[in-house]
Amino acid sequence: MKNKYWVMRILRTIITAFGVTLIAFLILHLTPGDPARIMLGPYASEENLAAVRAKYKLDQPLYTQYISWMGNVFKGDFGTSIRYNRDVGQLIAERAGPTLILTGSGLLIAVIFGVLLGILAALKRNSFLDYFTTFQAMFWISIPSFWLGILLLYIFGLQLRWVPIAGLMGFSSLILPALSIGLREEAWFARPMRSEMLEVLNQDYIKAAKAKGLKYSVVVMKHALRNALIPIVTMLALRLPWIIGGAVVIEVVFSWGGLGSLLVNSVLARDYPVVQSILLLISITVVLANLLADIIYAVVDPRIKGEG
Amino acid sequence: MNDILKIDNLKLSFDTEEGKVEALDEVNLSIKEGEFHGLIGETGCGKSVTGQTIIGLLDNNAKIEKGSIYYKGKDILHLKEKEFQRNIRGNEIAMIFQDPSSSLNPVFTIQNQIEEVLKMYRKASKKEFKDIVIEELKKVKLPDAENLLSKYPHELSGGMKQRVMIAMMLACSPSLLIADEPTTALDVSIQSQFLKVIKELKEKFKMTILYITHNLAVVSEICDTVSVMYAGRIVETASVHNIFKNPQHPYTNKLIHSILGVETTLEDLEEIPGSVPRLINPPKGCRFHPRCEEAVDICSKERPYLKEISENHIVACHRR
Amino acid sequence: MANSENYNEIINDISNLKKQKSSQLSLVWARFKKNRLALIGFIIIFIIIFIAIFAPLISPYDPLDTDPINRLQAPSKEHWLGTDELGRDVLSRTFYGSRIALQIGLLIVLFEGAIGIFLGVLAGFFGGLTDWIIMRLVDILRSFPVIILAMAIAGIMGQGVYNVVIALGIVGWTTYARMIRSKILTIKNSDYIEAAYSIGESTPSIIWRYVLPNAIPTAIIMMAIMMPTALIASATLSFLGVGVQPPTPDWGSMISAGRDYLIRAPWISTSAGLFIMVTVLGFNFIGDGLRDALDPTTKRN
Repeated sequence: MKNKYWVMRILRTIITAFGVTLIAFLILHLTPGDPARIMLGPYASEENLAAVRAKYKLDQPLYTQYISWMGNVFKGDFGTSIRYNRDVGQLIAERAGPTLILTGSGLLIAVIFGVLLGILAALKRNSFLDYFTTFQAMFWISIPSFWLGILLLYIFGLQLRWVPIAGLMGFSSLILPALSIGLREEAWFARPMRSEMLEVLNQDYIKAAKAKGLKYSVVVMKHALRNALIPIVTMLALRLPWIIGGAVVIEVVFSWGGLGSLLVNSVLARDYPVVQSILLLISITVVLANLLADIIYAVVDPRIKGEG
Repeated sequence: MNDILKIDNLKLSFDTEEGKVEALDEVNLSIKEGEFHGLIGETGCGKSVTGQTIIGLLDNNAKIEKGSIYYKGKDILHLKEKEFQRNIRGNEIAMIFQDPSSSLNPVFTIQNQIEEVLKMYRKASKKEFKDIVIEELKKVKLPDAENLLSKYPHELSGGMKQRVMIAMMLACSPSLLIADEPTTALDVSIQSQFLKVIKELKEKFKMTILYITHNLAVVSEICDTVSVMYAGRIVETASVHNIFKNPQHPYTNKLIHSILGVETTLEDLEEIPGSVPRLINPPKGCRFHPRCEEAVDICSKERPYLKEISENHIVACHRR
Repeated sequence: MANSENYNEIINDISNLKKQKSSQLSLVWARFKKNRLALIGFIIIFIIIFIAIFAPLISPYDPLDTDPINRLQAPSKEHWLGTDELGRDVLSRTFYGSRIALQIGLLIVLFEGAIGIFLGVLAGFFGGLTDWIIMRLVDILRSFPVIILAMAIAGIMGQGVYNVVIALGIVGWTTYARMIRSKILTIKNSDYIEAAYSIGESTPSIIWRYVLPNAIPTAIIMMAIMMPTALIASATLSFLGVGVQPPTPDWGSMISAGRDYLIRAPWISTSAGLFIMVTVLGFNFIGDGLRDALDPTTKRN
């Protein structure tokens, strides 16, 4: 039975991945009109238009285009950027690093702070810390991340001048952007962690653990946490798209040279090969991350017998 | 023989949203060493609360208003939590719970959960611990103990889980074991297995057990002494023989005479008119008086206290 | 009843009440009223709606009136929130911005909600392959960060407010669909539906008379809960340059424009940002209150 679950799960992943590629592909064909003209703008010459049409096989039926596009992708050919006239794959490779660092840092901040606050709030229920945790969570999710970034930039970058205000200049330039992402996301971990912890602490096995004569700290750290942290894995997978989305916006605010700012600029410049490729990359990452999360969850929770 | 446990005039209430629940009202209970003491009563009468109070696992909104609990002569009710945890809980007084499915931590193996207890009290090598765990499991008659070690709770049946729980608590080597409705969540067929194990505990290991239940049949089979609890008060305490053959308190009387079969629980008794009083505003005087056929004037005014009416048989009733 | 433990009684009563629709609403309302934060949320949103409706009356200036001589002025008596880079009164633009924000937000949740109800009911009620396909569609869409996909779509579709609404609508219905689907699943096997089938009622009729009336209240409440997301998403899109175009006063684009003048004139970005924050906070308070009122037994507090 266990195997059947995983077979279905992987099948689902493949189907989702396939669907994702379809959408990334179809984006370009959403609006009526000539895709070539859309890409090159209204002032493009007939020559250029023809060249683009040939290169991307725009005269062919959609499914042919899709197949050739996917074929190229599998070979590692993501097309050529119209704006930069460079290989898209290379462009992406250059800018992937900073985005990974930013997303990773944001995630780390969110999880660490969120989990810590959630645990403390649950342990000291109805205390000031508890209400504060809940309240600050609501506060953070009400601020648009880009405005938070600008605020932080203004206060710490411009006024206090503690950190540089743009670019990728080492660790100090990472703090503000990472905080802009992390502080907002932390709310999504703090409250569930608190709820989960409260529920776990109410369970009979916690009472039994106490009855064994275990120290309270052991009861909490070993017995309670181990159970309460399990849903956090799921939450991580759930929030990943949002964290990535936040990173994209933050990259724009802080002029952070990563995939996010590349994506935004490419959308505005109608550089669709780049847009499609980045879209594809991000979504496939999310799909794989979800699968990974399911695997981790099954490893970490022995109760999962693989019943989908 | 000495009293290993003596609950002395224990009064306890809970602060709830609906008001103050007077859960225990001057409860008096004594358990002798090696005794198998049954505590029976309907749901809500306070028997589980009594057990929880002894082992110090009450909810935060519980208030101890007066009284003491003496364990081996020492007042443990007013001990600080840290001391209680270190010295009393586990290695002196242990508790097994009603629902074995929820009382074992689902994410740790059986071995882990029993070893954890052992590690608190002794040092040994990995292999030695493993052997001790197998020993403990064998004590509760769990077949194929070796294979159980790496299993998780959800992989075991209800009866096995219950026995694992006993093994887990016994590994602490307590002198007093409190069993809070341990068979309520088990099938009848499993119950008998369980009782065999419990009986052996008493005979082989000379354990003192406080057995909290609403199952009269079990009580008649394994207990030496029985206390009957009603609405937060002990109304009668006597040897198991006397409780069943010569019940004195009108409530006990009704209970005993309604026994129909092996599985009778107190919930099956529809013969007693009226219902258990709410403990927020309990009846004045004797709490059973609204439902008692023998009630007279004084019963609604003055509370009857436990008095001895024959050897080792005490009753709280104005009419005896 | 031999054992009338207070708590169980109350819980039983509540669940009985829940089964009666009209009482359900009043019970929910009663719980909602008790939540102070929710009330504060209501007041906030009331004020914002007031500002939006009466913006023309209460704005001291025309939000589109440029006055290049007086550009980038700090807050003063004439301009309570200062002026922006084209000399326009920031206060007035912020007031007018609320109109756009609320309108777009409302359109977005309605659009998302409509798609979500439709697909959610289909998936929940018909099950089987329909359900599977719709759920796979949900999986696929949820693999894209909402902002990113919406931005790409809106960018391709071209500028304009309605493209933002459509883009976010296409991307955002998944949350509604799932919720509605769960709700439908819980009532699908109810007695009254089986009874309706057995007396020969047609499927569309059953959906119309029994299924939808259960789905719609959930959807409406979801819309209130999702307003914050919609507001922030549309603000983000205009910040990024997609969607609302200048000179229309919009909080997102105001923040974007103000960014270039952050040192000299921080009030441009700040006022728009504050307004977004307060509005979203208000909706979040209400949303939390609604969630608690609907189901106080969930593991929230």
